[in-house]
Amino acid sequence: MTQTPTLSRRSQSSAPSQPRTSRRRGADARAGYTFLLPWLLGFIALTVGPMISSLYLSFTNYNLFDPPKWIGLDNYATLFQDERFLQSVGVTLSYVVFGTPLKLAAALAIAMLLNSKRKGQGFYRSAFYAPSLIGASVSIAIVWKAMFGDSGPVDEGLSFFGINLGGWVGNPSMTMPMMILLTVWQFGAPMVIFLAGLKQIPADLYEAASMDGAGPVRKFFNITWPMLSPVIFFNLLMETIHAFQIFASAYIISNGEGGPAGSTLFYTLYLYLRGFSDFRMGYASAMAWLLVIVVGIITLIFFKTSKSWVHYSGDSK
Amino acid sequence: MINRRNFLTTVALGTASAAFLSACGQSSSSSKTGSADNPVTITYTWWGNDDRAERTRKAIALFESKNPDIKVNGNFTDFAGYWQKRATEAAGGGLPDVMQWDLSYLRDYGQRNQLLDLGTVKINTDAFDKSLLPSGQIRGKTYGIPTSTNAFAVYYDPAKLKAMGIAEPDGTWNYKEFNSFLAEVGQKGNGTLFGGTDYTGVWWMFNIWLRQNNIQAFTDEGKLGFSKDDLKKWWNTTAQLRGTPALVGEDKTTQLLPKSPFGSNVTATEATWDNFMAGYLGDSGAKELKLVPVPSDDPDNLGLFLKPSMLMVASAKTKYKDAAARFIDFMVNDPEVGQIFKTSRGVPASKTQRDGTTFEGTDKLVVDYEKSIEKYLKDAPQPPIVGFGTLESSFKRVSSELNYGKLTIDAAADAWFKEAEDLIKQNA
Repeated sequence: MTQTPTLSRRSQSSAPSQPRTSRRRGADARAGYTFLLPWLLGFIALTVGPMISSLYLSFTNYNLFDPPKWIGLDNYATLFQDERFLQSVGVTLSYVVFGTPLKLAAALAIAMLLNSKRKGQGFYRSAFYAPSLIGASVSIAIVWKAMFGDSGPVDEGLSFFGINLGGWVGNPSMTMPMMILLTVWQFGAPMVIFLAGLKQIPADLYEAASMDGAGPVRKFFNITWPMLSPVIFFNLLMETIHAFQIFASAYIISNGEGGPAGSTLFYTLYLYLRGFSDFRMGYASAMAWLLVIVVGIITLIFFKTSKSWVHYSGDSK
Repeated sequence: MINRRNFLTTVALGTASAAFLSACGQSSSSSKTGSADNPVTITYTWWGNDDRAERTRKAIALFESKNPDIKVNGNFTDFAGYWQKRATEAAGGGLPDVMQWDLSYLRDYGQRNQLLDLGTVKINTDAFDKSLLPSGQIRGKTYGIPTSTNAFAVYYDPAKLKAMGIAEPDGTWNYKEFNSFLAEVGQKGNGTLFGGTDYTGVWWMFNIWLRQNNIQAFTDEGKLGFSKDDLKKWWNTTAQLRGTPALVGEDKTTQLLPKSPFGSNVTATEATWDNFMAGYLGDSGAKELKLVPVPSDDPDNLGLFLKPSMLMVASAKTKYKDAAARFIDFMVNDPEVGQIFKTSRGVPASKTQRDGTTFEGTDKLVVDYEKSIEKYLKDAPQPPIVGFGTLESSFKRVSSELNYGKLTIDAAADAWFKEAEDLIKQNA
């Protein structure tokens, strides 16, 4: 899987050796750009344009109705004196730090279970993948809210075992575990990628290890983990970025307010409230750009540190 | 080959530009009036619960049958989501043609030219009390027409009180007496029925208390008229009750959303607007709910006032000004509409509508309540400042953190004041 980019690059470089006239190449380019045009228009109008305008707005005081007023770095400066902003950073970080590893662990564990050959494999694979297909939808957040509410199934189930937590939805210290459970449950997408990665690991490696008397734990740490590390890295990166952007489920579960007591005031939710409830679009834009910068830095750190633990086949270690 | 390629290029280009053009040119035909064969469609949006949705649909159907040249597309959400949606639409220039509106947000949109000056269209306001119309006006322009009036009250469920052997209140009480009433209900409610919700978390109760103490909520310059100590004193009113059965816990309140604890039969009382009667009856299934005045430490000054419970407004950008005006006129004046809504929007503001409506049972209770407090009514407060909606919801949020025990009263007052001062500075 990791070798494909190199292969395709090689095949590309051999292509121009065929003789071609420059006129023909010009026509090719024109056709190429023509086919690219719809995407390019969309990209410029719907992505680049809004990004530039939001960057501009982040330096202004803009209330959606009146023309924006330039205030320089004021928005960025006030951010760090805003207690709710700091709270939203805390909430989001704890979600990313606890939710993402748990989700990936669940995805990897289930992927390994589903990798072996047994009866009804197809059924299990779809069954485990299903939650993430519907998981992002609003309806699931509503169902989740009902399940964890006062005398909902979770509350009833736990009291059967003598654990009386009451409803989770109204309890500020239980909403974060609930949100993390919701994301862990939606492990389907990374699971499918793990599954594809596991299939790439040559079976003879395991056979050889078995012959040398290696147990399952040893096989996992000495074969599966290093062979899978590029896939783990990919999933970790994607899921981390994804987790920073959590919005819909938080919006539904907290009635759009980040409650109870600010315990689900996720970064993007606060950003949205600032922009569309308080009419402070400049402030919200500043928050958005700060998020872009922070996610960029985290991605960079991941790439830098990955050298020590991600192994591509063909590397010496 | 080349010909075919060129052909493909042309096709691709053509398809792309056709898609692009059709996406741009979707503005509908600009016919401003309709006919029975070709009616115009206006959009109308409101907030509320199922009960109001049912009544609104009836009113719309009636309007359409009387005005075959106009179709009304209606939809609704709950109050909190309502304003976020409107902000999104306003930013995109696509507010619905006609909207139910709240006094708290009239300045935000009216002052920023998002709402139609209803003085420029034909809406009959002859049957309105002249003291009520200014509440929909900003700087001499009429942006909203009140549908109805409401006043603050304390609701209680007589059946529940009777079952516990507690005498019905008569509404002549001070805060101490009100609190001990809540405590008694909570104590006899045995963990299943609480006294009430923490009334100090409701902005309008605080506003009424300020009026009872002759303090202005906002100065004429749009600044806060009360001090941090006033706010602390207010939140201290129920300090002894928080965490006891006198007040329902914040965790329960949160879980019951969007219903209120009173509507969910979890509390025996609730201090709120008198037009919630129909909604509460529907939510709780109670046979009868009663209203009494709010407590006051000064028996001659209850701080009460009539507020336009809702306003009808139109978008400044509506293409169908006449249709929108006719719909608004119909909704505020038509006696049959009064018959549909009764007091669920409040007591009808237009005399034509009020006289054309028969109030019976609980609806009569609401009308009678507003009559009974007439002698206490003072002028309605100034139209709230720009950004008032945000202040109101942050008041609710900070009080709820107070109830969760996440903040002390001092910290809560600091937090709210910081937000309020920041917001007033922003909008100055």
